Amino acid sequence: MGWIDRRYQVTPLFEFLRHKEVPIGSHWMGWYYLGGVTMFFFVVQIITGVLLLMYYQPGEATSYESIRILTTKVPFGWLIRSIHSWSAHLMIVSLLLHMFSTMMLKAYRPPREITWVSGYLLFLLTLGFGFSGYLLPWNKLAYFATTVGTNIVKSVPLLGDWLLQVMRGGQDVSINTLYRFFAGHVVILPLAFVGVIGLHLLLIQRQGMAPPVGTTTAPRGMKFFPSFALRDLLLWLACLMLLITFAVFLPYGPGIPGMDWELGDKADPFAPAYPGIKPEWYFLWEYQLLKEFPPHLFGLEGPQICLFVIAILLGIWAIIPWLDRRAYRNLNSPAFTDFGWAAILFLTYLTLMGWDIGAKSGSDDPTSLQKSAHVCALWTLAAGAVVIIVRGWRFKHRWFILTGAALLQVAVHGLLGLPYLVAGVISAGAAFVIITAMFLLGRASRSSAG
Amino acid sequence: MKTFPILAVFIVWSAAAFAADQTPVKPSPKLAAMLDARDETGKPIITPEQRTYYEGLDDNLKGLLNHAADKETISRAEHLSILLSLNLSPQKLDVLLQNNCVLCHSDSANHTPDTLFVAGPSANAPAAVPMNLKEVVEDVHFRHGISCAGCHGGDPTADLGHDFVKEWPEKDRDKNRAWVVQFCARCHADPTKMHDFNPALPTDQLAKFKTSPHGHRLLDLHDDRAPSCVSCHGVHGIRPAKDPQSKVYAQRVPETCGACHASATVMAGITRADGSPMPTTQLAEYKKSVHGRALLERGDLGAPRCNTCHGNHAASPPGVAQVSKSCSICHSANASLFDGSKHKVAFDQHNWPECGKCHSNHNIAKTSDSMLSTANGGLCGDCHRQNAKDNPECIQAADYFHHTIAQLDDARKRITADSEKFAARGLDVEPISNQLNDLTDALKKSRTYVHSFSRSSFQQVAAAGEQAIGKSDELTSNARGEFKFRQYGLAVSIAAIGLLMLMIYLKLRQMER
Repeated sequence: MGWIDRRYQVTPLFEFLRHKEVPIGSHWMGWYYLGGVTMFFFVVQIITGVLLLMYYQPGEATSYESIRILTTKVPFGWLIRSIHSWSAHLMIVSLLLHMFSTMMLKAYRPPREITWVSGYLLFLLTLGFGFSGYLLPWNKLAYFATTVGTNIVKSVPLLGDWLLQVMRGGQDVSINTLYRFFAGHVVILPLAFVGVIGLHLLLIQRQGMAPPVGTTTAPRGMKFFPSFALRDLLLWLACLMLLITFAVFLPYGPGIPGMDWELGDKADPFAPAYPGIKPEWYFLWEYQLLKEFPPHLFGLEGPQICLFVIAILLGIWAIIPWLDRRAYRNLNSPAFTDFGWAAILFLTYLTLMGWDIGAKSGSDDPTSLQKSAHVCALWTLAAGAVVIIVRGWRFKHRWFILTGAALLQVAVHGLLGLPYLVAGVISAGAAFVIITAMFLLGRASRSSAG
Repeated sequence: MKTFPILAVFIVWSAAAFAADQTPVKPSPKLAAMLDARDETGKPIITPEQRTYYEGLDDNLKGLLNHAADKETISRAEHLSILLSLNLSPQKLDVLLQNNCVLCHSDSANHTPDTLFVAGPSANAPAAVPMNLKEVVEDVHFRHGISCAGCHGGDPTADLGHDFVKEWPEKDRDKNRAWVVQFCARCHADPTKMHDFNPALPTDQLAKFKTSPHGHRLLDLHDDRAPSCVSCHGVHGIRPAKDPQSKVYAQRVPETCGACHASATVMAGITRADGSPMPTTQLAEYKKSVHGRALLERGDLGAPRCNTCHGNHAASPPGVAQVSKSCSICHSANASLFDGSKHKVAFDQHNWPECGKCHSNHNIAKTSDSMLSTANGGLCGDCHRQNAKDNPECIQAADYFHHTIAQLDDARKRITADSEKFAARGLDVEPISNQLNDLTDALKKSRTYVHSFSRSSFQQVAAAGEQAIGKSDELTSNARGEFKFRQYGLAVSIAAIGLLMLMIYLKLRQMER
């Protein structure tokens, strides 16, 4: 030890870790573990990914075949692929939980803005992993889903066609696309991910976990080493247990559309695309939103406007630390908690509709879609009601304008049958009027009091 | 220096020549007047769509329209409007505009409804002679340049002429239609003439027709109900048999034949060779049969229709001896097995139609393994009890066929279900699928080899199926073992992880006490 310390001075580092603490407060400690769980799944992805790489051979005549051989002939090959797929989906689940819990607890507030932004980048990179990995088995489902998925890029103004070509390595999805996605999936994205996650972890280690909003005095702490780290390990082992159980009993996923990785038939670029191609569950909201836009709007193409809306929403999400002025001053900011819940309800409704909940299977006729929207609306409204009641009763929240607007849109679209965008404009308008009125009234009362 | 002006003059000259060449054909004053004409309410007679169609025509067609307007074969805007509304392709419009007969006969000012071509089905024209402009330009004869004059005579390029061909009966054309077949045969029975249009088309239709009951009834008995060429092929819109809109297109044949054969009125008084009245249920039976459903519901153009078994121009009911010949066109394996069987001799002795005896004719249902049953109601059992009581070994053979096929079929269903279950568990089912393919193959062959009515022949093909069942059972048992191994492996792993978790938990408790 002394030998290393003399050369590299590691004692201060060990001292730092020895004194590092995780804040304990009135809040639930569980949220602090989600980042670790996400990282655990990522490590599983790296390990199983490297193992898959030992058998996977990208190529027109080998991609599908090598995965087939891997899962049927190679000892434990089925287990590795199944764990890789399960872990991918569970990583996204835990990542979403981590992101939304961080958002609701306002852990993004200064001095942790960069931690939020780096986490946000990790979120985008993870979606990139999901999208690129999906094509690699070169099966029919992946082929058509990628064709549909990459097609969205075409709507990017001016650069769309060029970007599509770059992404696909030609006009259509071909084996060139697979080579690109393969390079992205196993080299580019991992390199980027490791870099960003390094920054993310460094910042967390340097600044520690965010204490609850409003904490001014130094909070009580739990020793990071070994108390918190051992708890982390305990949870990771539980996750590993869950992973292998799923992998053995449900090797191709839980059987939910968009969460299914049965190999099926080999991709055939000359076969006609079959109806009902859907992306993975975490892209469903985007897929559904695209469907809700008419082909043309305000002289522009519908998908272009949709992409613009999605870009705006994602942009707002990235700069939340700078928008939330109350959290900046270490005060409760109920409006942003409400914003987080509104986002969840917005995504929930779109995802449910994308899943065709309540629709006749395989049916795309308007009455069936209307019925589906109705059922999805009821589910979303019920979830929204539960959220409002729990927040109001348990956490004494009184700020529900954005959640209300999200639910109003759901009700107007799903129950009254108005177009999705009209419902969106109505509820956004209503929220805008109420917030403006509140702001003006607040200013008036402050000035009269002053 | 002089070259420059020469070059300039040349360039200007060639540009001018090019421009002159590009000058579009303008409507002649008469045509222009028609294009701009308005009705009494002031509305333009030529609609914007028709105008756009006109503008899109090439110079040649515009020139032909100018010519027709100048010669006054088209003299009214209403008439021009009808022609432009047809939206014909350039080739078809070209044929139409060079045909004075159709041009004149499509102007309502000149003709009574029975001789007037209109743009669509005409309510006033006799049903047998449609006067539909859209159809007439689709007619295969019209498209080959045999227009009105080809049948009716006269000169279509002349201004006016009704110089009918000599074969065209001047009166009582509808009373005895026997002349029609002779009329069509002027060309269709003449190989030299047909060679100019379609060398591949046979020229024996009339000769065949004369041999058929249809021909006999029309030509010898002068029965008006008997069909002539136009009954099946139509008139003023005859399309090649491969055209899906043709009345003799594969999928339309049953309805075309059924137009008469399913009609009790048309068939009244007509008898079969044995003197029994001609039935009218064939079409309804055929539609329900495997063949009818394959053709009409699944769109399988290889499925047999009326003419596959009965013939076209020589259409006649197949005799007892010919039934199996018709069936064997497609079902050759079954037919050759039957030909070598004991049944062949017995059926010949009884004068039974071979395939038809068990499978019926128009009403052929999907076969079922239960046909082999020797119990009451089973085909084999019923027939043998009635006709071959002294052969108990036949009943034993039938029982053996039935039992073996049922066994193979049951095993196939069981192994398929197992294989699907294993596939869902992520096990390798490819070897089982291969055995299943062999089993399915053997089952299919066994069903075919029933037609040999020979125990030993049948046994040879069924044995392959039994072998596949044995191998599949071994493979499914292996797969079950593999899944068990996975479950045990999981249990051990979970126990190990659980133990580790317990130790960490205890360590934490000890540390934080």
